[in-house]
Amino acid sequence: MSQWVISGLRKGVVTTRYPGREETANGVSPGFPVALTSVSEEAGRELEAICPTGAIRFECGEAHVDYGRCVHCFRCARSARFPIEWESGYEWARLASTGTNSAPWPKAFKKSMHIRVVDAGDCGACLNEVKQLNNPYYNMHRLGFFITPTPRNADILLVVGPVNDHTRLPLQQTYEAMPTPKLVMAVGACALSGGVFGSTFVTGGGVKDVLPVDVEVPGSPPPPLAILHGLLLAARGV
Amino acid sequence: MLDAFTVSFFVICCAGIIVSVLLPAGMSSRAAGCFGVAASIAMGAMGGYALASQTPFTIALWSLPQIGPLCLSVDRLSGLFLVVSAFVFLTTSIYSPEYLKAYREEFDLRSLGAFYFALMVAVDLVLTAADVLTFLIGWELMSLFGYVLVNYQKRGEERTRPGYLMLVMGEAGFVAVLIAFLMIAAHSQGSILFSSLRAHSASLGRTGRWGIFLLSFLGFGIKTGLAPFNRWLPQAHPVAPANVSALLSGALLNLGVYGIVRVNANLVLVRSVGPGLVVLVIGAFSALMGIMYANRNDDMKEMLANSSIENMGIITTGVGAGLVFMALRQPILAGIAWIAALYQMTNHSVYKSLLFFGAGAIDTITGTRRLDRLGGLIKQMPLLAIFFLVGALSISALPPMSGFVSEWLTLQSLLQSAALLSRPVKALFALSGAGLALTAGLAVTCFVKAYTMAFLGVPRSVRMRRDTQPGFLIRLALGVSAVFCLLLGVLPTYVIPVLGRVTQGLTGADAATALVPPFFDRARGHSQLPPAFVADFHKLGAQLGQRVLPGSGLVVLHRGAAQNPVVFAMSTSYMLVTLVVLAGFLFLVVRFVLARRAEAVRKPPWAGGLASLLPELTYTATGFSNPVRVTFNAVFHPQASEERLEMVAGRFRKSITRVINEVHIFDRLIFQPVVDRVSHIAQRLSRMHHGRLNAYSAYVLGTLLAVLLLSRTHMEEHLVLSPALILIVALLLDRVL
Repeated sequence: MSQWVISGLRKGVVTTRYPGREETANGVSPGFPVALTSVSEEAGRELEAICPTGAIRFECGEAHVDYGRCVHCFRCARSARFPIEWESGYEWARLASTGTNSAPWPKAFKKSMHIRVVDAGDCGACLNEVKQLNNPYYNMHRLGFFITPTPRNADILLVVGPVNDHTRLPLQQTYEAMPTPKLVMAVGACALSGGVFGSTFVTGGGVKDVLPVDVEVPGSPPPPLAILHGLLLAARGV
Repeated sequence: MLDAFTVSFFVICCAGIIVSVLLPAGMSSRAAGCFGVAASIAMGAMGGYALASQTPFTIALWSLPQIGPLCLSVDRLSGLFLVVSAFVFLTTSIYSPEYLKAYREEFDLRSLGAFYFALMVAVDLVLTAADVLTFLIGWELMSLFGYVLVNYQKRGEERTRPGYLMLVMGEAGFVAVLIAFLMIAAHSQGSILFSSLRAHSASLGRTGRWGIFLLSFLGFGIKTGLAPFNRWLPQAHPVAPANVSALLSGALLNLGVYGIVRVNANLVLVRSVGPGLVVLVIGAFSALMGIMYANRNDDMKEMLANSSIENMGIITTGVGAGLVFMALRQPILAGIAWIAALYQMTNHSVYKSLLFFGAGAIDTITGTRRLDRLGGLIKQMPLLAIFFLVGALSISALPPMSGFVSEWLTLQSLLQSAALLSRPVKALFALSGAGLALTAGLAVTCFVKAYTMAFLGVPRSVRMRRDTQPGFLIRLALGVSAVFCLLLGVLPTYVIPVLGRVTQGLTGADAATALVPPFFDRARGHSQLPPAFVADFHKLGAQLGQRVLPGSGLVVLHRGAAQNPVVFAMSTSYMLVTLVVLAGFLFLVVRFVLARRAEAVRKPPWAGGLASLLPELTYTATGFSNPVRVTFNAVFHPQASEERLEMVAGRFRKSITRVINEVHIFDRLIFQPVVDRVSHIAQRLSRMHHGRLNAYSAYVLGTLLAVLLLSRTHMEEHLVLSPALILIVALLLDRVL
């Protein structure tokens, strides 16, 4: 009991400096394939065929990458004859066009934000990354983000998973139960597009089919810093 | 006048017995109700008349040879208890006919009516008895008829056992009281009249006083439900019909308090602080234990029974404080403490009968008394919910309802121990006060649980019946009690002078005047109040309402010395006015200012994402009281055993059976060890009974020898005869063997 004070002092501060300073530690992000502006027909077709989720699309000599579908399988970087470039950033979150809070962005979230996490058929990977936000390394409390168990206190609904039939009603009810103003953040490729599941007989094509999504965080799973970026984006709205 | 009331009371009771037995079952309970109302009015008139009159009133019954005259006498102390009992009997008489409809098919209600009137007579006898014999006869009748009424729903062994326990403990108490009275009577030269006991009690010695105190306190304490001899009470209530429960808590428990006050403050005045301190500490301890167990209870009536123990504990604490103050010659403080105790008793009788009526009505309508199963009753029976809320607020001692004034006064009188000199006495007062403060807090938790779980939310059980309404008479009985809860709470300055008349007879000092200064009448002034002091309070508005209301004012205030002019002061009347004004203001603000700015959005309750809110999902009474359980784990000491049925290499559980076994703290720490020890000794002794005849003969011989040796000093001839006797016996035994 008395030891943890000493060991804590000895260890010093381990928390990341993000967003004040860029985080450069190894392995904080799996990265994404970089879109190619000029690519040969052969290479482009091959990349399109090799991608299991249809994230790479070849069009007019350009290979577009849909981050909302990519699951970082590295087939395009490792198994292709013309391998694609990878970038290792993490500030991938973006505001979605489907959101209801486009302009002006509510001021209510600027100081702190309470997050209600809903698992809508998640495999566990995204949830695990969300969980990391609570640990000393990412420590989202320093930025004013808190997980709440009840939607009545929540400002933002963080959804992981492709929304299957059994989770649709709870998800809708959670959204209904939240007070306005409220935001919806879809985290992970599954929540954005259905991911590896796609649109099947039990899953839809992501959260946007059910709720108006305000912030999208791609990645499968997105690293904690990407989720943190999404939350910061949601708080500020820029 | 009192003659007429007494005679009419007994005549009405006899008529009630005859009518309820002779009339056909359908009409019997209604007729009994009418006669019950008449009899309780007569009883209340008796008490009220005695309270108003200056001198005690005595009726000589008849004179028995060898024993002496038997008397009934009503002084102010009996008068107050008579009025309180009469009120409970009155509301019970209103409540019973409607309530007993549910019992009509199953039981013969004619005998219930007869026992009801017999119990009424017994209570009256106990309260008006002016001699030992009448008192004991009344006490015994009260125990017996109480037992019969509690065990009225005779449904097998487990239902009759609690009533039997009540009878057994009551009888043990009776024997203790009997011995105590015999000890007092032994000093009064053959007279058993209370007046001569009182006159001769001064000659009692120290040991005798302690013996009388301990025995009578044990006997009356068992009837009052004081720790640790109160295990019968929470067991007897759940098996009794609700109207009998109301009587048991509202009238019968009070008789124990009456006994304690009568013996220690009237017959044998306590001279040392010891007895008072015992009463004080036992009272505070009972209160704390009672409310702790009440918090734990799921059964509404068991909870109310435990809360009765708590209230009796508070009353007894006040009585004990008064006894200590009397022993230390502080009659004003003793008067205040006793006013607090009697006030608490009056309040308790009113609100506890109300709550028992409510629990009974809920039980008959929904078919369950378990708080974990009830819920949402406010939509079904709004009026009952309001009345029950008044009772719950009163018992939680929340202003301006009735329980507040008396608990506040009790705590204030405990704080007055600052006036005492002895440090240990002060420490005990402080500890008891702390215990009572904790009790008051836990009482709020307990009754928040009772009210919210029964009346708010959604029904926690699908099986709950919700078609019928409580009848008019049930609502009337509850309504009358609720109105009195409010009146006793907001008009303390009109109740205290009445109680002051009672304590004046006991202490000889006018404590009521010391508590209710005449702020309404500046001209009359107060013998102890300087005009400047009165003027100060007039600036604060203490004369508000003087043109509308009679009396001396609405402020309860105890005045101290010059450097501390106000020891304590309070006014629930003005508090009520302020609360009403503030609530009205708040309503207006919310309705017309805040409501305009933002529109309230109503959404269905959050059920964790399920399609609809299931009753099982709602917060239960057990869940609500769990923090209390956890905090006082050392008291409850639950012993949990878990049994798991597992399959597939111990990975998957098929079922978990969790049994929590809780033994009541008194059973665990006091009774169980005693029972174990006694049965251990009995087992040892049973080795003597092995069936060998010559050994038995040896026992006989040994006993004989012992008797002879012991009686040697008194009877000389036995000393001569004993060897011969032994020889004869030995010879006879030899032949037998």
